[in-house]
Amino acid sequence: EEKYTTSISKGLTSARAAEILARDGPNALTPPKSTPEIIKFLKQMVGGFSILLWVGALLCWIAFGIQTAQGVASAFDNLYLGVVLALVVILTGIFAYYQEAKSTNIMASFSKMIPQQALVIRDGEKKEVPAEQLVVGDMVEIKGGDRIPADIRLIFAQGCKVDNSSLTGESEPQSRSCDFTHENPLETKNIAFYSTTCLEGTATGMVINTGDHTIIGRIASLASGVGNEKTPIAIEIEHFVHIVAGVAVSIGVLFFIIAVSMKYKVLDSIIFLIGIIVANVPEGLLATVTVSLSLTAKRMAKKNCLVKNLEAVETLGSTSIICSDKTGTLTQNRMTVAHLWFDDQIYSADTSEEQTTQSFDQSSQSWAALSKIVTLCNRAEFKPGQENVPIMKRVVVGDASETALLKFAEVILGDVMGIRKRNRKLAEIPFNSTNKFQLSIHETEDPNDKRFLLVMKGAPERILERCSTIMINGEEQPLDRERAEAFQTAYMELGGLGERVLGFCHLYLPEDEFPDTYPFDTDSMNFPTSNLCFVGLLSMIDPPRSTVPDAVSKCRSAGIKVIMVTGDHPITAKAIAKSVGIISANSETVEDIAKRLNIPVEQVNKQDARAAVINGMELKDMTTEQLDEILINHSEIVFARTSPQQKLIIVEGCQRQDAVVAVTGDGVNDSPALKKADIGIAMGIAGSDAAKNAADMILLDDNFASIVTGVEEGRLIFDNLKKTIAYTLTKNIAELCPFLIYIIASIPLPIGTITILFIDLGTDIIPSVALAYEKAESDIMNRRPRHKKKDRLVNEQLAVYSYLQIGILQSVGAFLAYFTVYAEQGWLPNTLLGLRVNWEDDYYNDIEDSYGQEWTRYQRTYLQWSGYTAFFVSITIQQVADLIIRKTRRNSIFQQGLLRNKVIWVGIFSQIAIALILCYGLGSVTALNFTPLRVQYWFVAMPYAILIWVYDEIRKLFIRQYPGSWWDKNMYY
Amino acid sequence: PSPMARGKAKEGDGNWKKFIWNSEKKEFLGRTGGSWFKILLFYLIFYGCLAGIFIGTIQVMLLTISEYEPKYQDRVAPPGLTVVPQVLKTEVSFSISDPKTYEEYVEGLNRFLKNYDNSQQTDEMIFDDCPGAFNNAQGQKKVCRFRREWLENCSGILDSSYGYKDGKPCVVVKLNRILGFKPKAIIPRKCCKNVDKIGTVEYYGLGGYAGFPLQYYPYYGKLLQPKYLQPLMAVQFTNLTYDTEVRVECKVYGENIHYSDKDRFQGRFEVKFDIKSS
Repeated sequence: EEKYTTSISKGLTSARAAEILARDGPNALTPPKSTPEIIKFLKQMVGGFSILLWVGALLCWIAFGIQTAQGVASAFDNLYLGVVLALVVILTGIFAYYQEAKSTNIMASFSKMIPQQALVIRDGEKKEVPAEQLVVGDMVEIKGGDRIPADIRLIFAQGCKVDNSSLTGESEPQSRSCDFTHENPLETKNIAFYSTTCLEGTATGMVINTGDHTIIGRIASLASGVGNEKTPIAIEIEHFVHIVAGVAVSIGVLFFIIAVSMKYKVLDSIIFLIGIIVANVPEGLLATVTVSLSLTAKRMAKKNCLVKNLEAVETLGSTSIICSDKTGTLTQNRMTVAHLWFDDQIYSADTSEEQTTQSFDQSSQSWAALSKIVTLCNRAEFKPGQENVPIMKRVVVGDASETALLKFAEVILGDVMGIRKRNRKLAEIPFNSTNKFQLSIHETEDPNDKRFLLVMKGAPERILERCSTIMINGEEQPLDRERAEAFQTAYMELGGLGERVLGFCHLYLPEDEFPDTYPFDTDSMNFPTSNLCFVGLLSMIDPPRSTVPDAVSKCRSAGIKVIMVTGDHPITAKAIAKSVGIISANSETVEDIAKRLNIPVEQVNKQDARAAVINGMELKDMTTEQLDEILINHSEIVFARTSPQQKLIIVEGCQRQDAVVAVTGDGVNDSPALKKADIGIAMGIAGSDAAKNAADMILLDDNFASIVTGVEEGRLIFDNLKKTIAYTLTKNIAELCPFLIYIIASIPLPIGTITILFIDLGTDIIPSVALAYEKAESDIMNRRPRHKKKDRLVNEQLAVYSYLQIGILQSVGAFLAYFTVYAEQGWLPNTLLGLRVNWEDDYYNDIEDSYGQEWTRYQRTYLQWSGYTAFFVSITIQQVADLIIRKTRRNSIFQQGLLRNKVIWVGIFSQIAIALILCYGLGSVTALNFTPLRVQYWFVAMPYAILIWVYDEIRKLFIRQYPGSWWDKNMYY
Repeated sequence: PSPMARGKAKEGDGNWKKFIWNSEKKEFLGRTGGSWFKILLFYLIFYGCLAGIFIGTIQVMLLTISEYEPKYQDRVAPPGLTVVPQVLKTEVSFSISDPKTYEEYVEGLNRFLKNYDNSQQTDEMIFDDCPGAFNNAQGQKKVCRFRREWLENCSGILDSSYGYKDGKPCVVVKLNRILGFKPKAIIPRKCCKNVDKIGTVEYYGLGGYAGFPLQYYPYYGKLLQPKYLQPLMAVQFTNLTYDTEVRVECKVYGENIHYSDKDRFQGRFEVKFDIKSS
């Protein structure tokens, strides 16, 4: 093929290869276009509350500018405050950006885990080069087990089979040869595709496409066209930001107007506005949410759910429909012997992952005969050197059914290879699709028995045709009508279970006709292949993972609908669905009912059937209304014989029902569905890179049960985020009230803006993260998934309870401390009212207090800072109580246990430690406005802290006692 | 299912009008009248109780506080020094020829010294002529008289403009009242710095004594001595340089008088003079 200037035997020259590489670029898929880092960073800078804080900072600088022009002494406070606010925005922005980058990096490292090598002929020599450096025209050699490094036209192939499932969804291996068989590159047999795997055989071929030009590359670029939806938690947080920002702006504007109409100077009013904004915005909250989510993501990664996008953590929790693949996710992805039929009886075999013995009755002579056939009539072999590996985990060379039989025999008989050695194989006809059987002739291991043993297995009906006798309890009996019917019944029954059934028969060749030296010839078949003795049936299935039935029932009690989407035959699909509980034991499909009542399918009332098995062909002809109807009417649905493209249709159908849909997938063709789904789950082991790229989450062990643990974590974090937000919002009122009262009652300012920032970004951070470690209050898997639009993260009850009840309680407690500090220094509460203007006059140095003492400006300021500190300390102390009550929303704290979540205590101690350091350690730093406080002031707000706790216990008690009552409706958040 | 879905979509759109007044369900802002009544009643009770608790705790706190003396004085002591007239940025700036420019200062002094008029100190039940010498055993609740005329040139009696019209401005100085505070030892001469520009400085006080006489201390508080008059000192700058800014810092000396870098009025004061000769 001179077209590619290459040579079939020598390959390209290195120089030419380098040239082409420079022209075409590396042989790798271009990753989906990512947003430039700077844009991502800037987005963090203006997202959430940042805009509000920027406005605050800007107002500060404006105020600073005006005040400096007027020569006000305290003007620099505003400059600093503006700088601090800007810093807060920038720091939280950097933090969020860093968190996001970190989770992206997890992904990056994941995809780089397996560097691929390719065996290529260049300069007439075989070389291993990284697959990325392959170029068009390269000659590559592939063998069984390799991933195909590029699109390749085969020039030489020997028994080559490829698994195209990731590309086309066909689960059967496809054979590949050098013959050009079809116009369509996807159909022709002489092209192997990039990223598919070669299952067996060897081949040599020429690279015809690399990188994005490959078939897979084109599909991948199509998938990136499907837009990403906003995650539910992103919507919730946006909703929450809107609420808080709305409150902040409206209170700010309202009090700006009030202040102006109360004849405050406009500049002062602006400064009040800044204070109100700062007090209202929970600066640390968004960072806290990010940390909580990433903690959960870490926890989920330990449980084999690797989350790419932090917000997907919660999405999983709100999932209401899971569309799951069958093979590998629900099942073990491994054929296993499930049933046996001999002596006119069906036995079931253990199909669990870790089987070491089989417990069915093995005493019959028939079993001895059957086991011999199973052992001998089998070409599969263990790869050497695996003696210490558990049988079920050993690697086998051979196809799926033979592997199953080999492992089955090894488990029961042990040392299959030894038995085969002792029963030397003389001739063999491998399975092919025309005769549908496999046959081999062996010597027997009994030295006295000179007969040869002919063993055969294959499609049961074909095997039966060749038999004239049947073995019952070790005795050969004629195969009469009755026996044949018994066989039919058993065959139908096993087939009805969706299992692949094989028949087994044998024949001892008479010694006289077939002496020692008889030349068996498989081409002329110079030996009998009929009138054999039928021994038994074995049926195999890809069995469900043992953890799956449990996980499915968990989903069911959690109100999550599990829909199976598979390319398999409807009967197999239904059988597996039944065995894992996706179709529950007592529910029927329309067809079942029709069969039971003996009426045509059309007459069955569709509402009666809980279950439905939909064929991909039917789905193709359905309108969207028909699909919607099916999704609404049936709670247990299996889609069989579906193509990956149809998955997208199913996902869209589910989303029309307002459901949050999780979809699993592994193939490249799944990626549009994975993208479209609210949460796309790619398989970590079986999944293709394209699927992993499109997914939000990667299931490291491919196990459905891991999804369910993920759901549990997701629901828990949603609950815990509610608690965190409730905790954080509460103190905002305690920070806001001082400003409002300061404006209205003209008292000395109870708490400074800087001090507020120390609460929001200092004492409160660790406790609010600690709430992410809180255990669930009750079985969260026993309630329905939250409704995307009705069950909000921040609902009216949460906001009202936090703002108007606990928040107000907290403010009152903090005001008590404030009044106490002032009163004990000589300013009784009544003298404080209306004092503001004189108090803040820089040149009024002899203001009289309640006792007639005269205060200079600085003395007053210092006292004001003591007031700030006392207010701050009181909020901190009451936030401890707030933290404790937020541990639960319904249960009593004592039911939940005070000590179960140790991190809460870390939070409490950190909170108090930070307050102590600020108060006594940094009390001398003027700019921070803290002063060392008398010890007793730490306890002033304590009664209110206790009151908060008691009040909340009462609230929870009433909620538990009177579910559904007015109290429950208004007080449960 | 389709009408249901449509209904949901509407809800999602946020139908504001319907939210404010839903005529079907008779709901105002998402609640019916009865529901509003219940919730408002709840908050009425809730805040009522809370107000009660707050007032209760404030009362308990006030019970622990004496009417006669504050619990702590660590923020107010040591005392500040106040200079009258108190003006913006402590800048005394006027022109000799224009009385309007110093009217503000004269007014301030008049207002302040009014309490020291003899007519205010006639009640023998309250006022007492304290003996000239420091006496610890004097009557506790009586207030020592302080005669305005002791301030001589700066009393406003001899010169109603306190020397401002002659370009020799007076300021009156007082030590801030601190309950129970007794200056230790005698207070020596107070001293105003920046000598070359301020020229000579005259001090007037009790018997020409340039200090705060100790017999006026301590102060027993508003309740016991509602008419307390703290001793004053007047300072007259008789030879200030005109047409330039003169900064003057004055300090009071005493064993328990302290100064602070942060508080420019603790035990000292600063005044800027800017007198225009024309």
